[in-house]
Parts: sequence; C-alpha cells; structure tokens
Amino acid sequence: MLKVDHLQKSFRTAAGDVHAVVEASFMADSGQLVAIIGASGSGKSTLLSLLGLLDTPDAGSIEINGTELAQLDARGRTKYRAQRVGFIFQAFNLIPNLTALENVKLALEFSNWDKKDRGARALDMLTMVGLDEEKARRRPNRLSGGEQQRVAIARAFAAQPELILADEPTGSLDRQTGQKIVELLRSTASRENTTVLIVTHDEKVAAQADRRFEIEDGVLREID
Amino acid sequence: MRSVGVVIILGVAIALSISMLIARDAVSNKIDSVRASTGTSITVSPKGFFGFQGGGTPLTNKEIEGIVSLPHVRAVQASLSERLSSSQTNLTSPTPPGFLGQQFDGGNSNTSNSSSGSSTRSGLTPITGGSTPSNTRGFSFATEIRVIGTNSPGTALVGGANGGGTETLTSGKAFNATSTGNVAVVGASLASTNKLKVGSTFTAWGKTITVVGVYNSGSTFANSEILMPLSTVQTLASATNEVTGATVQADNISNVTLVTTEITKDLDSAADVTSTASTVASELAPLNSVQTISTYTLFGAVIGAALILLLSMLMIVRERRREIGVLKALGAPNRSIIAQFIAESTTFTVLGSLVGFLAGIAISSPITSALVNASGGSTSASQGFGGFVHQNGGGFTGGGSGFAPPSGGFAGGQGFHFGGFRNTLTQLHTSAGWSTLAYAFLFAVVIAVVGSTFATATITRIRPAEVLRSE
Repeated sequence: MLKVDHLQKSFRTAAGDVHAVVEASFMADSGQLVAIIGASGSGKSTLLSLLGLLDTPDAGSIEINGTELAQLDARGRTKYRAQRVGFIFQAFNLIPNLTALENVKLALEFSNWDKKDRGARALDMLTMVGLDEEKARRRPNRLSGGEQQRVAIARAFAAQPELILADEPTGSLDRQTGQKIVELLRSTASRENTTVLIVTHDEKVAAQADRRFEIEDGVLREID
Repeated sequence: MRSVGVVIILGVAIALSISMLIARDAVSNKIDSVRASTGTSITVSPKGFFGFQGGGTPLTNKEIEGIVSLPHVRAVQASLSERLSSSQTNLTSPTPPGFLGQQFDGGNSNTSNSSSGSSTRSGLTPITGGSTPSNTRGFSFATEIRVIGTNSPGTALVGGANGGGTETLTSGKAFNATSTGNVAVVGASLASTNKLKVGSTFTAWGKTITVVGVYNSGSTFANSEILMPLSTVQTLASATNEVTGATVQADNISNVTLVTTEITKDLDSAADVTSTASTVASELAPLNSVQTISTYTLFGAVIGAALILLLSMLMIVRERRREIGVLKALGAPNRSIIAQFIAESTTFTVLGSLVGFLAGIAISSPITSALVNASGGSTSASQGFGGFVHQNGGGFTGGGSGFAPPSGGFAGGQGFHFGGFRNTLTQLHTSAGWSTLAYAFLFAVVIAVVGSTFATATITRIRPAEVLRSE
C-alpha cells in the first residue's frame, strides 16, 4: 500500500517561489492502477519525482507498506529506487548499446537479484509483455516504439517492485499501441500485485485507471 | 568512430611522450658517460704557454704548493719539460728531423735553446750545438730529446703522459715521486736507438743518469722521451723551482668548477687554468638543451594527452547525461556508473598507450637524431671546441689527463681525444628499457586518472530528476 501524506515541494525561482506540490495526500492499494491527470506545469512530474525519491520533499511523508521513505539518505534512496520502485518513461529511456534482454537484466543487477536467475527472469518478463526471444536480443534501435515501451515495462516490473511510476507512458505512441500499453500495465499491476501510478494528460488513458486524481497548480484532488 | 579518433589522438600524444622519454634517456646517458670519462682533472699551464713551442713564465713550486692546499684538491701532478740538445747528452733521438729539418736546412735561422733550459724551445738544434746556426745549406741537425720531470711517475706511466697513448712499463720500475736521484724511465724507441736497458747509463747536462725502467706507449714519437724525477730535472736543467705544467685532481667531479675557480683566483694572471669538465660542459650544451627540450615536451605531451582524455570524457558524459540519469533512476549507485566510465577511459588509455608506445619506439631514434642535430647546428659547439684545443696547448697538443704534459709539446691527448669525442656526441643510442616501460605505465595511469577525475565528478553531480524533467 502507498500512503502519501501532506507532501510539499516548492522551487525558488527568480520570479519567486513556485509551489509545485501543495499538501498532496492520497492512498493507493497494491495492484491498483492510479492515474494522475494534469496539464503541463501542473506539478504532476514533480509529484512523480518525489514518489520515486528522485527529489526530496520539503515536507510530508511517503510510506510504502509501512516504511517511511521521505527522510531516507542518498544511499537509502538509491536502494529504494533499485528494489522497491520501477520507472516507465515517455521516451522509454532504454540504454541504447544494450539489448532488450540486457536492459531488463540491468534492473535486476541494481536490485541485487540473484545473478544466476537474472537471465531467466528477464526473459520471462519480456515474454510476459509480448516480446519473443529473437526480439529480446535486439538493441532498442531495432525495435518499434511500442516494443521499446514493452521492454521498459518489463524492466520496471522485473525486480518485483511495490510501486511503478509511469510518466506519460503512452505519450510517444499511437493511440492503438498506447491502448495496448495501458492494458498491459493494468494486467501486470494486477498479476504482480504492484501499485502503478500513471501520470498523463490523456483523459482516455486516465479513464482506464482504478482511481483518478487531478493536479492543478500543485494541488491534488481525486476525481470520479 | 569517435572512440577510434580519441584513441588515435591519445596514441599520438603518448607516442610523443615515449619518444621524448627515450630521447631524454639517450641524451642523459650520453651526458653521464661523457662526464664520467672526463674525470676530475684540471690543467694548469703557465700563462701564454703555447704547446710545442712552450712559452710563458714557468710556474713555481710555491704556486703548486698553494694549489695543493686548496680545499677539494685530491692530488697535484707537477711537471717540468726540458729538451736535451746533442751537446747536452750522449743520446741520439730516434725521431728524424723530417720536414722541420728541411726547413731549417733551407736557411731559416732558428735559435736553439741554451743549456739552462730556456722556455724558448724549437725542437731542433744544430748537431754541432751551442752556436747560432749559419744560413749555409747542408747544415746537419738532430732532433732534441724531450725530458719530462714529474713528481708522479706512476700516474704518468699509466695515465698517458704523452697523450697519444697510455704508457706501459715494459721493464724495470718507476722512480719514487720524491726522488732526487739521477734516474730515468726511458721510452722504448729511445732505448732501442741507444741500446739502453734497465741499469744502463747515459749523460744529461753533464751528469750520469741511470735507467731504472723502459716504457712503451705504442707511438714512436712518445717513445722518444725520458721521464725523470721533477727535482732532478729542476736541478740539472738549472730550472730550480720551475714547473711548466700541473694536473690537479679534484676530489669530486662536482667540485671541478669550484677548484678551477679557486686556482684561477690564486694564480691570477700567472697561469691558464682549464678543466676538461668545463670544456665538456660547453660541448655538452647542445645535448643539455635537447635534454631540456625533451623534458618539457615530455611533460607537455603527457599533460596534452590527459587533457585530450579529460575533454573527451567530459564530452562523453555530457552526451550520455540522460543515460546516466536513467541509470540513477533505476537505482544504479554512483560508484557503479563511475566504474563504467573509468573502464571506458582506461580502455582509451590502454589502447592509446599501446599505439603510442609502439609508435614512440619507432619514431624515437629519428626524433632524437633530429633534435640533437638541430640543437648542435644552432650552437657554436664546434668553435668552442677549437678554442679548447688552442687553450690547452696550441695546435695539436692538449692537456693530457692523468699526467700533466709539461710543455705540451708532445701531449696531444685531449686534442686528439676530443676530436673523436666531438664526432661521437651526436651518436646516441636510443632504447626502451624497463624504466621506459615503467614510466609509460605511470604516464598512462596519470592520463587515465586526470582524464577520468573531472568526468566522475560530473557524474556524481547529475540529478536524475532534472535530467528526466527535461524530456
């Protein structure tokens, strides 16, 4: 279970303080698909960075399955990212000189997954997202956008994290492929019992989520 | 493609470093060997002394004693050179008059030296002796016999008293350094011509001299001389307290210049003081400049290589900033990412070093030769050398190391020796030994460390949130 309580983050700019996230509080159960919708600059990416411990909050708490994360030191945050959270990006962000299989194995390596099981686990994850062994041995530049995002999903889920953070996962895909990716995320979240948080500006993507939140000027509220 | 370019540029820089290192080693070895061979000798001659012809006012025993008392002076070998005309000895010179005799015979009026051993010495004397020769053709001459009075017969015998070679005692023994007896060690040619052997006697300046030894130097010219105790020659030749040359040994090669300065200061205008070391120093000036150039170039090339790698790595880190951000987001610790980049820079360095080492060895010899030739051509080393020969005895005579050539008449030691030395200065042997390999490895490590340091510092400062936000 993900529990966020009164999370705040401000940035100091020349024009004054910008309140990117204001008193954000919500809860999400394991296996749920949660969508956060908002326009550009509304603070949704900042919220994602805070939840992924890529940035430190000014105040508030983040709790996953009873563990408080917001006050972790740098080493603790790195360990958290490696073992308890998975990232999916709009631009896929696969390592270009590694094959699809190696990209997935990389996440297992950082999470200290048993070395001898990494290959099999990575291949299983790629098979689960619909990529065969032949495609698993291709480098990202020889895969389509949808296939690359599938590799990114396999990489994010590989180390069995408790939280998946997906930043505009369909933003670089056509509507049909994007639909398939959202379905894949939903089914995988359910199968792996992982909370998936999708940040999107696409209403149709958000409509498929179990719970929906809207963020505007840093203020988060749940919508029907 | 970029990686290949980085390796090639690194290889060129490292090749330059290696070739400079090898050139520097070769030049250093040459300088060391030349310095080692020059020894610690300092030659002291009367001012105006001019080799075969002699000249100048002789030094005195007191002045020699003053030199002995100077700090850092290990030994002083004093000598007095005189000539025996046919009227002063019953010996016959084995050296024919030759061209000089013909000149004299042709009407030149040369003044023979007196029996008192005047410092004006022609080397020839009328066979009738004593009187001034007439200009009449058909006059007969005999070559004078050179007598060297020395207080260091042992050194003279092993150190090349005549400059043209090293004398070896073939029979008998040398006299004592402090001997005042009428004894002599004679050259093999003189002994042969006059049927002298150990125990034989001959007359000089009206006294009977006993032969105690015979030496051979391999040269008829040098084998035509007589070595006698210094004080004996001073007494017999009526040259009491006179010394026509001295070779001073400094206690250490690093003190040669100091001792030379002190002697010059003490004797002021009475003597010409030269050391082989100082002469060699001027000769070695081009090599020293090559050494300096190669040292600076060496460090410049190493720094250049490090900068090349540093900039390349910074460029690579900058280009892969997003990848680094993603890796950090995935939970990669800084050390893991840094290790990856250090591995890359090390690979560049190792490949560059391999290319550079092989290329450096290949080009080291021509580069060394070019540097030495260019440096030598831009200096006046050759002229400086000529000056040295002149100072040390005039014309074909020189100071002679190990034994002070008394009048310089025969001793062409340094003159001849340095004629060869000059030619061999540019003959350098370049080689890459273990020390070169060790230095190359050290340079590679320095290059890799410097090249990676800033890149790794940049990596630690990359914040994944900022990188991913900028998508």
